[in-house]
Amino acid sequence: MNLTCGDRFPDLDLPDHTGRPRLLSEVAGGDPVALLFSRGWWCPKEQRHLREVTALQDEFEVAYARIVVVSIDTPEVQSAFRAGIGARFTFLSDPKRRWLKQLDLLEESDTVHHPYRPTAFTLHPDLTIHRVYDGYWYWGRPTSEDLRQDMRAISRAVREDFRR
Amino acid sequence: MADLPAGAAQLSFDGTALHAGTGPGRRFMVDERCLDGAPIARAYAHVCALPDAAAVVAFDQPEIQQVRRAALAWWIPLLGDALVCVTTLALDASGYGGAITVTRTPVAWDQDPFARIFPGTVVRTDLFSVVAPPAGPVIERYAGVAWPGGRF
Repeated sequence: MNLTCGDRFPDLDLPDHTGRPRLLSEVAGGDPVALLFSRGWWCPKEQRHLREVTALQDEFEVAYARIVVVSIDTPEVQSAFRAGIGARFTFLSDPKRRWLKQLDLLEESDTVHHPYRPTAFTLHPDLTIHRVYDGYWYWGRPTSEDLRQDMRAISRAVREDFRR
Repeated sequence: MADLPAGAAQLSFDGTALHAGTGPGRRFMVDERCLDGAPIARAYAHVCALPDAAAVVAFDQPEIQQVRRAALAWWIPLLGDALVCVTTLALDASGYGGAITVTRTPVAWDQDPFARIFPGTVVRTDLFSVVAPPAGPVIERYAGVAWPGGRF
């Protein structure tokens, strides 16, 4: 599956952290999206990075943009982790690794959990990929500034009144 | 009340009952999706609003932003499968008149963050339909529609 800039990201159908079935397009709700594939709650790198993303939610909440995290954790575990880091955005749960296989995002070096390879996508509201970040090495992940720049670029492209 | 913006529907509350459209009591605008689908019979609506026209706070006040954050963070997860829908109650382009949380069964209404602004009244109702809860983290309103309704 092509997951490069300009491609349309598949409309994931997964339960959220409360167990409700969701579509990625529905969660996007017409806004730009930071889509983060995460190993899971146990990984110190994920804990650190998602705390940084959570700090950024105070900007997303007023800027008409979305944050979505996907992991193999069950909804119950995601809900607890989400509460623990103080997140107010949506987690999507894929414990059966259904989309992991289709997206070819297996973290091959973790032979215990078989999680998602940490990968981030910034998406237009129609799920067109703006940028891709390979976060296998921590420094490959998007920083807060990377996400700001991407949300600015996408918003400029899709909001007709961004520049007057 | 002025013409309804796209994405808004109207209901009224007289202190004990809810009425679709322009019934008796105070009029509010709600997320239209809450009244748009197959209604859930005998649902429980926790109406955190008052019929008194003086009960209004600006949506942009910090306390109104904070209760929306609380709804996203823990109120909606706490409700689980009991949740039918949630909507704030808009009075106009800037006025917050309250909020309604609709559930299939009785829940911990004493935990409702919206009751920190205006006290809650439990009303049995057939008006509301199931709406997927807001995804977050957006708490801003879209073009003046009652949060979490609307979109660009």
